Amino acid sequence: MKSTDLDRIEVNPKTMPKRTNPLANVFDDLVRFCRSRSMFMLHYCTGCGAIELPPAMTSRFDMERLGIQPMVTPRQADILLITGYVSIKTLKRVILTYEQMGSPKYVIGICSCTVNGGMYWQSYATAKKLDEYMPVDLYIAGCMPRPEAVIEGLQQLMDKIKNDQANSWKQYYENYDYYLGNQQKLFGNNWQTPTDVIGEAEIYRLMGPQTLGEHTKILQQVQKPMEPLEMKL
Amino acid sequence: MNSAQSQSLNVLLQEIEGIQLTHQNQRRLRADISADALPALLALLRGRAGYVHLSAISCVDWIEDDQFELVYHLWSYETSILISAHIRVARDPGIYLSVFDIYTPAAFFERDIHEMFGLYFEGSPDMSKFILTEWDGPPPMRKDFDSEQWVMDNFTWQDYHPDWLKQIEQQGGGVVKSADSSRKSS
Repeated sequence: MKSTDLDRIEVNPKTMPKRTNPLANVFDDLVRFCRSRSMFMLHYCTGCGAIELPPAMTSRFDMERLGIQPMVTPRQADILLITGYVSIKTLKRVILTYEQMGSPKYVIGICSCTVNGGMYWQSYATAKKLDEYMPVDLYIAGCMPRPEAVIEGLQQLMDKIKNDQANSWKQYYENYDYYLGNQQKLFGNNWQTPTDVIGEAEIYRLMGPQTLGEHTKILQQVQKPMEPLEMKL
Repeated sequence: MNSAQSQSLNVLLQEIEGIQLTHQNQRRLRADISADALPALLALLRGRAGYVHLSAISCVDWIEDDQFELVYHLWSYETSILISAHIRVARDPGIYLSVFDIYTPAAFFERDIHEMFGLYFEGSPDMSKFILTEWDGPPPMRKDFDSEQWVMDNFTWQDYHPDWLKQIEQQGGGVVKSADSSRKSS
């Protein structure tokens, strides 16, 4: 990883000012409208809430009329849907998946378990609040939420995207130190992911005052460069 | 099952010293034995009674007695009688013999018990981490591990009545009807 120098970081303003050119605003609105009408969804089905997704996707409730389709890889997905409890082992994979997704990306937590641990609140093996480890745009609470609620939640997400409110993916870059700190607390200080989040934050110009901190320092100390996987036949 | 098979099984099991047999019903037999006699019992059952299937090994933590109870569930396709062999092992130092040489699948059960209870099996091929690869706390199924306390120490909780919900409630949203008001009986 490149060593990052705090002095040359431009601090991004929290809310983007409206552009002065009226045509640019129209264009932005159009982009957001199109974006909200064509979303690919990666469903990371960790728990029992997954059972409500087939009816929501297929002919009964038909998610596709909203322009939402399931997608098979994180690289091409826009929405990460996490349905149910995240055990600590799963959480690692969820974070890897989340970091692989291209921005802009939206996270939806379904079921009570992603909100507060749900019925597994006193279990040593499950993470409790999903939004400590990655920014969550929308929670759909319930145990489990009906497909109507899932569709309602997806519509809310579409509205949020249209109104330029679904910007929580920027939070991950701006507050990376906070999220990394919570991840390290759970996984130990040797935790690292293949994605260079700080480098991405620089490219997106989303370096904030909270991006770097004590936890990213630990990361930079322990981080090993990624090596290509050994191929064997 | 026929009674001749059952009787011959009883006669066979009497060869083990200090065995206590309880017929819980026609197809369930409970055998309480000392920990030393267990390998002999298993070898006898596998070699001479057709008990080729070790379904599971379960462990119970009797913390008041300072003992672990190990239950070996054995199944025969010929007699169709489920035998559960119960033994007690001292909780400290918590070491027992592996039965891997008699039943190969025991390796998995023993590895799991080692991970969950911290009971070490001598002679088991692999005692490394099994499912909880990311866990370095105490064995979590022991009775002296307080899961709730551990969770309280390590996690924080979502606020149940946060500001944004109050805002929604002021606008007339949120939970408008109480659950009781929509019940038919009231």
